[in-house]
Amino acid sequence: MQRHRAGAVLAGLALIAGLSACGDDSGAKDGDKGDPVTIDITFKDGSVTPNGDRIDVKVGQPIDLVVTADEPGEIHMHTDPEQELAYDAGTKTFKVEVDRPGVVVVESHALDKTIVSLKVEP
Amino acid sequence: MTGTVEAHGIGGQADLPIPLELAVSGAVAALVLSFTVLIVAWRKPRYDGGGHPGRPAWHVLDTITGSPAFHVALRVLGIVLALYTIMVAVAGQETLTNPFFGIFYVWWWVGLVFASALFGPVWRAISPVRTLSAGVAKLAGSDPDSGLFTYPARLGHWPAALGLFSFVWLELAYKYPTELGSVRFWCAVYLAAMLVGGALFGNRFFENADPFEVYSSLIAKLSPWARVDGRLVVRSPLAGLSTVDPRPGLVAVVAVLFGSTAFDSFRESTFWVKTYQEASISKVWLDNAALLTFCLTAGVLFTVACLLTPSTAGTPHRELPRRYAHSIVPIILGYILAHYLTLFVDVGTQTLARASDPFGKGWDMLGTASVEPSYWFSYHPSVLATIKVLAVVLGHIAAAVAAHDRALSLLPKRDQLTGQLPLLVVMVGFTAGGLFLLFNA
Repeated sequence: MQRHRAGAVLAGLALIAGLSACGDDSGAKDGDKGDPVTIDITFKDGSVTPNGDRIDVKVGQPIDLVVTADEPGEIHMHTDPEQELAYDAGTKTFKVEVDRPGVVVVESHALDKTIVSLKVEP
Repeated sequence: MTGTVEAHGIGGQADLPIPLELAVSGAVAALVLSFTVLIVAWRKPRYDGGGHPGRPAWHVLDTITGSPAFHVALRVLGIVLALYTIMVAVAGQETLTNPFFGIFYVWWWVGLVFASALFGPVWRAISPVRTLSAGVAKLAGSDPDSGLFTYPARLGHWPAALGLFSFVWLELAYKYPTELGSVRFWCAVYLAAMLVGGALFGNRFFENADPFEVYSSLIAKLSPWARVDGRLVVRSPLAGLSTVDPRPGLVAVVAVLFGSTAFDSFRESTFWVKTYQEASISKVWLDNAALLTFCLTAGVLFTVACLLTPSTAGTPHRELPRRYAHSIVPIILGYILAHYLTLFVDVGTQTLARASDPFGKGWDMLGTASVEPSYWFSYHPSVLATIKVLAVVLGHIAAAVAAHDRALSLLPKRDQLTGQLPLLVVMVGFTAGGLFLLFNA
């Protein structure tokens, strides 16, 4: 009886461990970081698009944040440490990349809005 | 712009969500193992009724931890930590680099839980409000255990549930959770409430109503240590769990703890972000409504499941929810570990560095000013995801076993298997829901 119980628990845990072992952390090789991702961000009349969309990128993949704004401001990237990207009215492109896997939120603190969240995979 | 008050909590980059296949296999494992427990486990209560009091611990450990010097040392440690926290709260800067925020949200709220799971009822041992209260009683020549009045038994853990809710409200549903003045005010109210309560009702008040002591002592039941009849023993977490006192308000405590952690996962999901950004009502109101809904849903689902459970004549039906409430504690611990592990390791380390230079003047009081988090888990997301799912599933198994053991002493003989089904279904729901939120983060 005791052995059955332990066996059942172990079988269940082995199932989980086995499934997780299918994934791998090896990540993209050098020179295989993918094409640049372009994210268009538009500030107009006190609002911003996109509106909190999730965007999948890879570690080290070049990201072009193309900001088109009708007045100056700044966007914040919640990496550690946080990055502030200031822009003027008009169009400006920020070339950024994230070097640690995780979820990075890009926000406008002035509008108190999440613009996009980057899901950065290894 | 370190001077700005930001409307979000501490901690920058978040964990990757767990992969779908891992979430699903975790949920399936929880479902299958629950029924396995139900069918193959023992048929007579094993832990309930004190059948497994534990083995005596190593004699030296018993002597050391039982000595007055050890108790005094822990009290001094608690007072030193409290004085340091008050110092940075009062004289520290209004920036996120003030260690106060990390001490409050990470060391106190999360660190205390992990410490209690490893070492036992830590807060009871170091609680500065207990120490202060004992000091006042000594000066007044009164007994610290009993205050001016007897603590009303009907009140039970309700004040603690309220206190815990006020903490998660500040962290998750208040507009400025990282504004120095607000957090300081919360601490001042906590301190005042505890000292008044302690003066009125003595130490009974702390074990019933101090939110941190109730939380810490509840999680401590899962630690391998206990003091039984004055002796230090090593025992199974399940044996510890069966000794939880089913006081009024216990269901509210576990509902707040589980519901709020689930809401903390949910509020960062793309779904919720898009919802509140498109809504015409402000985010703060929606967060308040959602936090309350998560806690109430957890409490109501659990209560209904328990009330659908038959009982023997010996136990009033309405008392069933709190008789079973201890079984949710391992689910809470598993989920807290899954949800806060990286926050604790990374921001906890960062806080240690900041604590060495509390006023941003280039000091190095503790010699830890240059420690930096390694973000090891970020670079090993499969390991992290596996730990999260294992923690949730192990918590679930412990919960299912604890509920089964309790059910054997509460259920009439003829309902011993079918009577457990409503609670089992709700537990599987909690676990699957928690995994879904970790997947959808």
